[in-house]
Amino acid sequence: MPIHEKSLIRPEKLIEHEELVIEGVDVSGHWSTFIEGRSVADYNENLQDEIAALPGGEYIHRCWQCGSCTNSCTVNAINADFNPRYWIYLIRTGMEEELLRDKDIIWQCVSCNKCTYACPRDVVPEGVMKATSHWLELKGHTPKSPSTIFDEAFSEQVISRGKIEDGLVLRNFFKRTGQPLNQPWLIAMVGGLIKRFPVFYLMKLGFATVFRPKTKGWNRARDAINEYAEEREAANRKALGLGSKGAK
Amino acid sequence: MSGPILIVGGGPSGLSAAHAAASAGRKVTLVEKEDRLGGAPILSGYAKLVPSHEWAKDAIGAMVTRVEKNPNVTVHLNAQVQEFAGEPGAFVATLKDGTKLDAESAILTTGFTHFDSINKPEWGFGTYPDVVTTTQVEQMISSGRGVRCPSDGRKPDRVAILLCVGSRDRQIGREWCSKICCTVSANLAMEIREELPDSNVYIYYMDIRTFGLMEGEFYWGSQEKYKVKYIKARIAEVTSDGKRLLVKGEDTLVKRPISIPFDMVVHAVGMDPNVDNMTISSVFGVKMNKYGFIDRQNTYTTLCETSRPGVFVAGSATGPETIDDSIAQGSAAAMAAVGFAANAVETAAE
Ligand SMILES: Cc1cc2nc3c(=O)[nH]c(=O)nc-3n(C[C@H](O)[C@H](O)[C@H](O)COP(=O)(O)OP(=O)(O)OC[C@H]3O[C@@H](n4cnc5c(N)ncnc54)[C@H](O)[C@@H]3O)c2cc1C
Ligand code: SF4
Ligand code: SF4
Ligand code: SF4
Repeated sequence: MPIHEKSLIRPEKLIEHEELVIEGVDVSGHWSTFIEGRSVADYNENLQDEIAALPGGEYIHRCWQCGSCTNSCTVNAINADFNPRYWIYLIRTGMEEELLRDKDIIWQCVSCNKCTYACPRDVVPEGVMKATSHWLELKGHTPKSPSTIFDEAFSEQVISRGKIEDGLVLRNFFKRTGQPLNQPWLIAMVGGLIKRFPVFYLMKLGFATVFRPKTKGWNRARDAINEYAEEREAANRKALGLGSKGAK
Repeated sequence: MSGPILIVGGGPSGLSAAHAAASAGRKVTLVEKEDRLGGAPILSGYAKLVPSHEWAKDAIGAMVTRVEKNPNVTVHLNAQVQEFAGEPGAFVATLKDGTKLDAESAILTTGFTHFDSINKPEWGFGTYPDVVTTTQVEQMISSGRGVRCPSDGRKPDRVAILLCVGSRDRQIGREWCSKICCTVSANLAMEIREELPDSNVYIYYMDIRTFGLMEGEFYWGSQEKYKVKYIKARIAEVTSDGKRLLVKGEDTLVKRPISIPFDMVVHAVGMDPNVDNMTISSVFGVKMNKYGFIDRQNTYTTLCETSRPGVFVAGSATGPETIDDSIAQGSAAAMAAVGFAANAVETAAE
C-alpha cells in the first residue's frame, strides 16, 4: 500500500527496507514502507522538578491546562507552534523527547508577561519559559542565544569592574558571536558621535577605552557577587543532576 | 429564656431553618432585607431547578408559603439588623428602623452574591448586549419570553456558554469552585436546545463538575440527548465583527487557535460571598473565612456554629452551596439552635 498524506507522518517514523522478507513475504522497497509506532514509552519523572528548581519555574506544578497562556501569547499569535501550555504539559508529565522537538522555538519567548496576567492559577508561565530555556542551555540541548551572550559580556564587566565601557561590551559580544566589528550601523553611529559630541565628552570616552574605569573599592563587591553567582549556578546544575563545572 | 430564634435571610436555607425550628415548637423571627422571601431562586427569577426540574417559583414558592402560614413565625421584610447585643440566650437585635427584637440565639442564612461579570472585561459583558449571564438566561426562560438575543430579539443560532466566570481564578482572588454552575449550564443548554431545536450550543470548560447523580442526567444527557458540544478551552476574549460575537481562544485538545462566531455568549457566573458580609461580620461579631464567607467553627461535631456562641450559620453564607445542601444545613442549624437553648435551660437548672 502506498501511503497517502505522508506529510502527516514524522519522517523518522517512515521506514523502508532495501531487502526484507517476513514469513516468506517480500516486504522490500518503497511499496512496503513501514510506519513506526508513536506511543510514548516512558516518562521522565524528574523533568518537572528540574524545571521547578530553576528561577521562574517554581509554580509549574499549578498548571491545569486551560490554555489562557497560549491564547494570550504574543509569539503564539505569529507562530501557532509556540505553545507554552503544551510545553508545560510535556514537562509536567515528563515527555522530554516531545519537548526537545520544540527546542529551537522555546527560547523565542519575548517576556511580555501577557500569559502571566491571564493565568488563573498564577503559574507565571513567562518564568516557566525562562526556566525551560535555561534548562535547555544547561543540558546542552541548545547553544547560548545571542541575548544570553550579550548579557554575559555585559555582566562580566559590571561584576569585574563595577562599571562598563560600552565599546568593550560590543567588541566582546561581536567576538563571541563571531560577527565582524565593522558593522555598517556601528560605523554610522560612531561617526555621528564624533561629529556631534562636545570634545570634552569624546576625550572622556577615549580615556575610558584605554584606561578601563573601575569603581573604587569594588573588589569586595566583586568577590561577593561572584560567590553568589557561582552558588546559584552550582545549585542549578545540581538540581539538573549535572556535574559541578559547566560548559561555560 | 428570652424570646424566639432570630433567623437572618429568607432564602432556601433560612426558610428551611425557620420551618424546622417552628415545627419543633419554637418561636421564630425571620428578618429579610428584600421585599419578598425566597432568596436567590425567587429574587433572581431562576427557571427550572437542578436536579428536580421543578420551577423555582413552585418549589421555593411552596417553602415560602409554608413559612408564611406558620403561626410560630414572624416575618420582617425590608429589614436589616443594625445592632446585635447581649448574651447567648438573651440577645437583643435592633433593626434599621429601630425595632428591637429579643432573641435567644441567631441563625445567619444571608446567602451569597452573584459574581459581577464586569470584573472580567475581556469576556465582553457590559460591552456587547448579547453577552449575558446564566441568571439572565434563567429569567428569559422563567418569564416565558424565551431565549432571545437582547440586541435585536432574534433567536440565537449559536450559543456559547463559558464556565467558571468569577470562580477558580487567582487573578481576581477567587480560589473556589461555585459548585452548581456546571450542572446549571448543562441544564440551560438542554433548555435552549429544547426551545430552539435548530440552535447549536457549545460549552467551553476547563473541568466539568456535574457531581454525584447529576453526571448522568445533565452532563451525559446534554451530550447524548441534546447534542450539546463541550470544548476544552478557557476563552481569551469575546469581541465582535460588527454583526456577531467572536469567541477567541485555544482549543487545547487540537492544539489550535480558535476564533468562532456566536450569536449569544453566556457567562456561567459564580457565587461570591454576600457583599454585606463585612457588615454582617461586625454586627454579629462572627469571623469570616479567608475567602470572605462566614466561617464555620467545626466541620463535624457542630456543623453550623460560628465563632460566636449562640450565633449559627447555614447555606451559601458559608461558601458556594446548592439549594438542597442549603436546605439540609438550614435544618441542621435549627436543630443546633434548639439544642443550644435546651442545654442552657439544663445548665441553669443545675
Ligand atoms: C445562576 C444560578 C442558578 C442556580 N440554580 C440552582 C439550581 O438549579 N439548583 C440548586 O440546587 N442551586 C442552584 N443555584 C444555587 C442556589 O442559588 C443557592 O444554593 C441558594 O440560593 C442558597 O440559598 P441560601 O438561602 O443559602 O442563600 P440565598 O438564596 O442567597 O438567600 C439569602 C437571603 O438572605 C437575604 N439577605 C442577604 N443579606 C441580608 C442581610 N444583611 N439582612 C437580611 N437579609 C439578608 C437575601 O436577600 C436572600 O433573600 C444556582 C445559583 C446560580 C448563581
Ligand atoms: S511572556 Fe513569553 S510565553 Fe508569555 S505571552 Fe509573552 S511571549 Fe508568550
Ligand atoms: S494559563 Fe496558567 S493554568 Fe492555564 S495553561 Fe497556561 S500556565 Fe496552565
Ligand atoms: S461548578 Fe463548574 S462552572 Fe462552576 S466554578 Fe465549578 S467547575 Fe466552574
